[in-house]
Amino acid sequence: MYRSHHAWMFLLIPGVFLVVFTLLPAIGALGLSFTNYSIFAPVEWMGLKNYARILRDGEFWSAIRVTIYYWLLVTPALVVLPVFLAILVNRDVPGIAVYRLIYYFPVLVSVVVTAMLWKWMFQTDGIINYLLSLFGAAPKSWLTSKNLVIPSLAIVTIWQGLGYYMLFYLSGLQSIPGDLYEAADIEGANFWQSHWHITFPLLRPVIFFVAVVSTMSAFKEFTLMLTMTNGGPIGASTTVVFLVYEKAFGELKMGYASAISCILFLIILFITILNQRILEDDNSV
Amino acid sequence: MGCNIKRKTINTIIYHIILILIAIVTIIPFLWTFSTSLKGQNEAVFSFPPQFIPQTITLENYVTVWNTLPIPRYFINSIILAVFGVILPVILCSMAAFPLARMEFRGRQAIFLIIMATMMIPGEVTMIPTYLIINRVGLMGSYAGIILPGAVSAFGIFLMRQAFLSIPREVEESALIDGAKVWQIWLYILLPMVKPTIATLSILSFIGSWNNFLWPLLILSDPDTYPLTLGLYKLQGTFVANTRLIAAGAMLALIPILVVFLFFQRYFIEAAYSSAVKG
Repeated sequence: MYRSHHAWMFLLIPGVFLVVFTLLPAIGALGLSFTNYSIFAPVEWMGLKNYARILRDGEFWSAIRVTIYYWLLVTPALVVLPVFLAILVNRDVPGIAVYRLIYYFPVLVSVVVTAMLWKWMFQTDGIINYLLSLFGAAPKSWLTSKNLVIPSLAIVTIWQGLGYYMLFYLSGLQSIPGDLYEAADIEGANFWQSHWHITFPLLRPVIFFVAVVSTMSAFKEFTLMLTMTNGGPIGASTTVVFLVYEKAFGELKMGYASAISCILFLIILFITILNQRILEDDNSV
Repeated sequence: MGCNIKRKTINTIIYHIILILIAIVTIIPFLWTFSTSLKGQNEAVFSFPPQFIPQTITLENYVTVWNTLPIPRYFINSIILAVFGVILPVILCSMAAFPLARMEFRGRQAIFLIIMATMMIPGEVTMIPTYLIINRVGLMGSYAGIILPGAVSAFGIFLMRQAFLSIPREVEESALIDGAKVWQIWLYILLPMVKPTIATLSILSFIGSWNNFLWPLLILSDPDTYPLTLGLYKLQGTFVANTRLIAAGAMLALIPILVVFLFFQRYFIEAAYSSAVKG
């Protein structure tokens, strides 16, 4: 009924877009990473020199440390907390839909507005310091302190991500048959026991999924740093992608920055493959 | 028995208190900014303890922002970007998805796999070459430079393909026998049948476009062309940076998202689920 030229007709324009703006840039990133391209100077082939330099670059290792630190703060919280949030809103009480909407809303807020809202929260004379002062704590300079900047940014990310991951747990919870809980109730299990033995084992695939998705986004984060701290103080919030951005558009070292982004790609690819392996093992059990 | 009922009531009250507390923590940053945006020029924005309820509530900040800052201009720019940022992906992705879901032709499997493989490449990795390509094709400073790179996504094609696959074969067979043209089948028969997926893709594209900040930052240099996100970002650092005004600006930027969210809640949830596929 359809001819093959019909197929190509429909594929042509979208195909051109994909090639020009996704496929070519992907190949381009790899190609650039072997050069010293910097817009103004003539291009020179560098071979693997960029990569060798990156591995000796203190800034790069600092960015790796910052990214891993940020990930370690963000992902466990985003895996665990939304489970409880989902359990809370998985009840049929009046008004529950409103709570779900409120918890979800921060997901939709642009990074620029998020940054504004939280800069005011973290201000020296802001609300967070005020709340802490009620417990007798001294005011802290959250975003300008080398030690506190990543935990502060992690708080913002967790605030923004809770409602998003809550939705996945919620749909996971709704697929668990209710009579399992009734049976547990009859057996005399309390709240914690029934969740420990029923909810968590059955949510395992969702928990794993959330861990992977939040890991990926933690490794790619940088616009939050760009808008809130500009990578500072002195690089304390410069993540890997922020470093790519800074090298490419700040210092115009496009070749060098591309090499860093290729390393990032390898890291993300590694996580993806690892995740697929674990999933396969899981299914074969 | 009476004791049991009492315990139940207490549990319900505690339950609601927890829900409300979490809701407050969630919206405190918004409330604080909203309160700041209502404070008059004579009132201190920051004080210890913070004043949540302004001494005098005034809308003058909103009026000032709207009249003296280029906020209306930014607003219109954001809307222009969002309109194209929604229409183009919907048309182009459902174009590509049509043959991939409904036609038999040589190379279909290979093309589909290539498209899916591109989903693995994060935008952060292709950022630099994309920028250089936009520069090379002369789109620097133009809206096309922001809209076109994001117009076709592997994810969007995947989403539309899944929707097309769920339509029974007979639907288009009878139309073809009646002599309908292929593009008519796509436009008049198939597209109307996947409206919910179109809504999902539209919403995802709308949020992406309305909140897009990085590409406007990289591509636009003329302040008259700034969308709201970039405009607010730049305003923060300037001498007009009066906290009350910026707070009012931030609130204005939130309104469209809030309105669209409240009207299309159902689709937002759907969109959230499907967006996770792309990770």
